[in-house]
Amino acid sequence: MSNLPFLPFTSLSGDSRELGLVLAVLLGFAFGFVLERAGFGRGDKLAAQFYLRDLTVFKVMFSGIVTAMLGVMLASGVGLVDLKLLSEGAVSTTYLWSMIIGGLLLGAGFIISGYCPGTSAVSAASGNLDGLFTFLGVIGGSLLYAEAFPVVGKLYGLGDKGQLFLYDLFRVPPAVMAMAVTLMAMAMFLGGEKVERMMARRRGDDTPIQAHARRPRRLAFSILGATALVALGTLALPGAPRAATAATVGLIDQPELARRILDQPWTLRILDVRAAASCEKKRIPGAECTPLATLGQLGLPYSPGVRDLVLVPTRSLQVPPSVRGYRGRVVVLKDGFDGWKTYALTRPEAPGPTASAEQIEAYKFRAALHSAMTGRKPPPPVAAGGVKYAPRPKKKGGGCG
Amino acid sequence: MNPQKFWNPYLAGVALGLVLLAAFLVTGSGVGASGAANRMAAAAVNAVAPAHADATPQIAKLKHGGRSILDDRLVFMVLGVVLGGAVAAYTAGRMGRKVIKGPRLKSNHTRLVLALTGGVIMGVAARLSLGCTSGQALSGGTLLSVGSWVFMFAVFGGGYGMAYFVRREWI
Repeated sequence: MSNLPFLPFTSLSGDSRELGLVLAVLLGFAFGFVLERAGFGRGDKLAAQFYLRDLTVFKVMFSGIVTAMLGVMLASGVGLVDLKLLSEGAVSTTYLWSMIIGGLLLGAGFIISGYCPGTSAVSAASGNLDGLFTFLGVIGGSLLYAEAFPVVGKLYGLGDKGQLFLYDLFRVPPAVMAMAVTLMAMAMFLGGEKVERMMARRRGDDTPIQAHARRPRRLAFSILGATALVALGTLALPGAPRAATAATVGLIDQPELARRILDQPWTLRILDVRAAASCEKKRIPGAECTPLATLGQLGLPYSPGVRDLVLVPTRSLQVPPSVRGYRGRVVVLKDGFDGWKTYALTRPEAPGPTASAEQIEAYKFRAALHSAMTGRKPPPPVAAGGVKYAPRPKKKGGGCG
Repeated sequence: MNPQKFWNPYLAGVALGLVLLAAFLVTGSGVGASGAANRMAAAAVNAVAPAHADATPQIAKLKHGGRSILDDRLVFMVLGVVLGGAVAAYTAGRMGRKVIKGPRLKSNHTRLVLALTGGVIMGVAARLSLGCTSGQALSGGTLLSVGSWVFMFAVFGGGYGMAYFVRREWI
């Protein structure tokens, strides 16, 4: 496994959990400090964005995103972090329609209150009662959502696209997407300043912009442009994380594959490499029938490599050279489709009365999987034990979880 | 004392981006705010009516591992945001009890009612879209999540769409 963050919060426990919470306070402190100094503690300054008088919100947000994005790309380009692992852990599912509805509502709430949830906390901290009331409102709104979930919950989870990234959509390497976003942001900054000047003139304010006022912009643009170029340059590094080598080819066992098919099918691309006839007869849900000879036509080296490639042979497989160029992880299903048939498509034996908690748990999972995969009635519940199978918690919130 | 001027927006943005980058590289996740408000709401219900909290799935799911509902990264982060915001405002000479509104709106009372209303709408919205401008737009946008970018443009759309109707509040 590649370099993860130094303190991945989700797996912290005990003393390091306390350290993680201290870190959260420190990061929050820096976040709040910068927001206040950018002017985000004042509702009138934030609201001016929506009357096109002062596009500070837009400029700060986008240059913030671009800076952090380029930093992440650079770090992943030189192998300091694994972009795929970071993104899997930190990014929420894309619920297209829920996010459009939620975004429109949040935007409306933004202009009515003058703040977004984070900036209302900053505003309250600088003594503004309106900021305090907004934050209390957000708490009230969360409560309303929880209580009214049977009704408003109908709007939740609509347009589920799984974890989806812009570079998947445009089928380009992440660093190229980052470069495009950077250029787009700069063009929008320049356009935005034109709009600001136009609106000022319309209000009768004709003060020409001083030359020295442009200096910070030039500085910021040069930093971002240069970083984008360097990040793009890392694509040419030998051994950059793009080329899959034999080291990233591994085996996946049946329980692990079953769990991922049930929990996060969007992280997998399953290629059934058996003969077309047997694949068409019966295959793992979601699998594509791609006999070995056709693998070369899939263009695997050119796909973004965000999903793990799972190869399903009949029994075992030497990884063919045609998938070696795949940028992401490549795994072969242990014991192939035969192993899957034994594990998932055969009714499991009920454990005896002396079975351990783990055995009972494994049995329950297999029994549930068997009925899910075959559509057959699940077996009666086991009397002994009483250990409930708990599915792994799904990672959802993008930080506001 | 005259309050200090605000930072240049582009340089403030770069500073914001560096904070976000540090969060990703050190903790593996971004920043957030509405998640903390959600937990505060759940903790309040749990304190007043624990049986009702258990019967409400959206609240019950925040109770796990026997830890307090408030024992969460985002609650601590918002605590930090409040501290950082207070220090920044104080040192810049902007600290003080006031109500911020546009020049035409005379009533503080109206402004506070609107602030509360907007907050409630955002509270619901942030749960629907799995995060607010911090957690969804900034953090997810950084990692180029399609949902985050769609959300971000929807926020601007919603703001511009609503702006005309509340113009007396601001301009």
